[in-house]
Amino acid sequence: MILVALLLPLAGAALCWAFGPRLRGAAGWLATAAVGLSFIAILVAGSGREALFTWMPGFDFGLSLDRLSLLWSVVITGVGCLIHLYSIGYMHGDRGFARFFAYMNFFIFAMLLLVLSDNWVGLLIGWGLVGLASYFLIGYWFDRPSAVAAARKAFVMNVVGDVGMMFAIFLLVANLHTIRMSDAFASAASLSPALLYAICFGLFVGAAAKSAQVPLHTWLPDAMEGPTPVSALIHAATMVTAGVYLVARCAPLWDQSASAQMLVGTIGALTAISAAILGAAQWDIKRILAYSTMSQIGYMIMGVGVGAYAGGIAHFFTHAFFKAQLFLASGIIIHALGNEQDVRLMGGLRKRMPLAFWGILTGVLAISGIPGFSGFFSKDQIVAGALAHGHPYMYAVGIVTAGITAYYMFRLFFITFLGEYRGNVDPASVGITRETTNAAPHEPGDDAHHAPAWIMGLPVALLIIPTVLAGWLLFGSDASPSPWSRFFAPQFAGPATAAVPIPDWLTTAITFAVVLIGIGVAALRYATSAARADAVARLRSESLNMPKVLTHQYYMDALINFVFVRGARLLGAVFGRIVDPFVIDGAVRESATSAQSLGTAVRALQSGLLRAYAFVIAIGAGCFLVYYLVTGLPHR
Amino acid sequence: MIPLLIILLPLVVGVLLYLLPREDVAVSKIAGAVVAAATVGLAIGGRTEEWTWHWFAHPFVANFHFGATFLSHWLVVLLTLCTFGAVVSTKVARTRSMIASLLFLEGTMAGLFLTRDLLVFALFWDAMLLPVFFVLLSWGPHPSIAWRYFLYNFAGGLVLLLAVAAFGALVGTTDVIGNPAYHGLTSGWAPWILAGLAFAFLVKTPVWPFHTWMPATYEGTPSPMVAVVSGVQSKAGLYGFIAISLALFPQYFAREAPVFAVLGVVSLLYGAFIALVQSDIKLVVAYSSLSHLGLVLLAIASLNHLAIEGAVVYIVAHGLFSALLFIVLGYVEEREETRSLGKLGGLGWKNPRLTGAFCVAALAALGLPGLAGFAGELVILIGVYESGYVWAAILALVAIVTASAYFLRLLQGATQGPEVADLPVRPDLTWIEGLALAPLLFALFYFGVYPHALLASGWLHP
Repeated sequence: MILVALLLPLAGAALCWAFGPRLRGAAGWLATAAVGLSFIAILVAGSGREALFTWMPGFDFGLSLDRLSLLWSVVITGVGCLIHLYSIGYMHGDRGFARFFAYMNFFIFAMLLLVLSDNWVGLLIGWGLVGLASYFLIGYWFDRPSAVAAARKAFVMNVVGDVGMMFAIFLLVANLHTIRMSDAFASAASLSPALLYAICFGLFVGAAAKSAQVPLHTWLPDAMEGPTPVSALIHAATMVTAGVYLVARCAPLWDQSASAQMLVGTIGALTAISAAILGAAQWDIKRILAYSTMSQIGYMIMGVGVGAYAGGIAHFFTHAFFKAQLFLASGIIIHALGNEQDVRLMGGLRKRMPLAFWGILTGVLAISGIPGFSGFFSKDQIVAGALAHGHPYMYAVGIVTAGITAYYMFRLFFITFLGEYRGNVDPASVGITRETTNAAPHEPGDDAHHAPAWIMGLPVALLIIPTVLAGWLLFGSDASPSPWSRFFAPQFAGPATAAVPIPDWLTTAITFAVVLIGIGVAALRYATSAARADAVARLRSESLNMPKVLTHQYYMDALINFVFVRGARLLGAVFGRIVDPFVIDGAVRESATSAQSLGTAVRALQSGLLRAYAFVIAIGAGCFLVYYLVTGLPHR
Repeated sequence: MIPLLIILLPLVVGVLLYLLPREDVAVSKIAGAVVAAATVGLAIGGRTEEWTWHWFAHPFVANFHFGATFLSHWLVVLLTLCTFGAVVSTKVARTRSMIASLLFLEGTMAGLFLTRDLLVFALFWDAMLLPVFFVLLSWGPHPSIAWRYFLYNFAGGLVLLLAVAAFGALVGTTDVIGNPAYHGLTSGWAPWILAGLAFAFLVKTPVWPFHTWMPATYEGTPSPMVAVVSGVQSKAGLYGFIAISLALFPQYFAREAPVFAVLGVVSLLYGAFIALVQSDIKLVVAYSSLSHLGLVLLAIASLNHLAIEGAVVYIVAHGLFSALLFIVLGYVEEREETRSLGKLGGLGWKNPRLTGAFCVAALAALGLPGLAGFAGELVILIGVYESGYVWAAILALVAIVTASAYFLRLLQGATQGPEVADLPVRPDLTWIEGLALAPLLFALFYFGVYPHALLASGWLHP
């Protein structure tokens, strides 16, 4: 049954790909049904282990559905199904409609393979294939040069992560002689601390690249070039959380290496706060959400890094709903405004788009951690967990970031929905300096849009329910643990936590106070009647006074480009244009260009060319000779 | 008898094609395709067949002894598959002569892989250079490229012949490939013979710094022929390393292995970085080949069982995707009338099927998990690491990242971006063109999902 759940989306992808032109609109329904059936199959299977086949001698493949992979599979197929449905409306009339759904179904297959594999190689294959699906979907509108570049960047940065994982897998397989994860965890204690740290480091390079953690994060904002449902499914709810899954899955490894936990927790905290600051400086609605995704995944990584596994994966669970919700609701806006993504040109949308209003409002309340909404419970667990596991500065970062998050999410909300609609004003007057708008020729605009409104509305409406309520699963106390911690108690048998100097209720109160400050600042700047009346001028001055270091994303892109991209090309140019022709092949090249025809070639053969080759061969032979002289002459 | 048939059938039909009129296309193409398809069947079916004809016994024993071993079986299957694809995809002036050359190449290379005798191996080594040489002379942009190819490889061939003769004189027989009863040469001359063999193998593969003949050859050879040369002929040297150097001189090869490991790593990185800056689409693939085959040499030099199993998988995988890439690039060049990445772009909207095939080939080449290249790459690297070449394994990871960059640059540069206005618009893949690609594509998927199929038949030489 697990195999069935895995193969259904693959079959859907194959059908959409092979019969795309003939299926037309039916491709969307077919793909949605495949994911929905897969969801049911996962629930029916519940748990279990299925052996598959021998991939290579000693490499046995199998699938395993335990509580952790069940959680991920349910979210992948459940939220995935809703986003597929939404896409039927969003992508209606697009030139590559069936191709889009083939990629989406393929992604679901790859992501399920990632979380269901019981061995390192299957995990790595899934890991690589989700990267491929992401590449295809970011570059979906492949006649747009920016989309093509973003897709390539995402792919190459994810390959950096893949080879990090490959490195960890060499270490694991070469030392433990098994590719089964459960076997590796059982014998992890036999590894030396240095080796264990190296393994965790390699795995975390993979996790950081996939989950857009500093410094491998620069692909995620660019990935917003993909259609909005893609951003919701892959770059918010599921794929980018694969790093959280990996760390939680390998908890037995991390539990034994405090320095590896420190690394993961630190990177998570750093990402959480630095992305939140960038989120406060963005104007593109999807980019704001992209940075908030980075920041929230930073929280999750911090949670699983410090050992608060149940809290980290709980935040994955709630985030999947509220972030998918935010993306889908903003997709409705983008769609209705003819592909405008700049919040400075929105404003006053509350009355025009009530569903988007309510969708984004609940999402913003949840992500900001307003008590009662889903994000509150899970974020609270991570922040409290950081302290309980003895990391006070991560605790502090968690609290401060919560305030910044509340600020920039409410900023988004206020600018978009309050005041007057600014779609008709001159872009320059609100401080937009770019020459062209984001409006892209292939986004299906209003004219092409004939799909019934409920197709896009229903998923948003349905997602409001878990966005508000999902957190109550985490409600509990030490005396009566929450359903969540009871469910995952057998999965994570980590070390007991120490007593904390600050009681949990106080942590909650401090966090909430900081959140209120964040909301208050946002309200003062964007929501007062004075601010609303003067919105255009204020936005203009804020745009023009935005610090350069923030608009350039801390210059990380420029740094990576300069060191790695330029560096590699320089090396290639030196090898190809200098070493090859002049050092290795100087004489040969000279003769070859002097030989103009077969006649001169034959003549050259008798004079220059032959000598040149003799020279080259002599060098080759000479190298061997010298080598043998150095290493000792052969003896009988 | 079957091994002999695999060798003679293409050679005889190749000669007979010259009875056809010079400008013939259809008959020679059908005959070539039928012969290639027949040899695919023979190669898969005739795995255990052997055939021997005694040649001479003085001063040493040499036999026309043919029969597949574990590795050569897969190489011959690869050869026949690639030849089939090449013949079916051929679309050049003087089709008849091209098909005949392809069949000559198939016959001589089948002889090279199937022979169990070193002397016959050395003779076929030189023979297989000739079809490529003549094709380069007649179709290549410049005769000097043909001469460069020939002299470089012929020099290797001569050294190989000398080494083989010395081997025969010392051992008393050259009928030793894949012979489990033979346990290696223990003479003071062995390192010198090994060096002679290695020189020929390193030039043919090619491996840095003997690679400078390769880019121009791959660039100048028409795509059907270069598909076979890059896909299969480049494996002759690696086959030699595994089946001859490693099997016949185990202790001496082990002593020199670090040298080959270093050459492998240098090729791996050197090729990868150069491929990153090429603007000719064929040269990107040519330098990628230098890089990929360096990895295989590293695997062989690590002497690790797992790495060599991975090398076998990777040899087959590389043959498949590199043949596929060159055939696809041939199609692209034919449609767009340029090979420059600066001019190409936007093929995806015009020719989606061709782009799909291109995409699979490029992804397989950059080691996408799930396709055949990845299986070999991963297992090689685990083995290389296990054998103690930790830095080599880490440097290989750098090359993997670089490969993803240059193959995406190639794929995106040719197929994506806005449609370029001044490029001609031509129809998508025809079914005949698709037929040339289909077996290779299928094999890439099949061996990617189930690489065990390549190794399940057993291991002849540990």
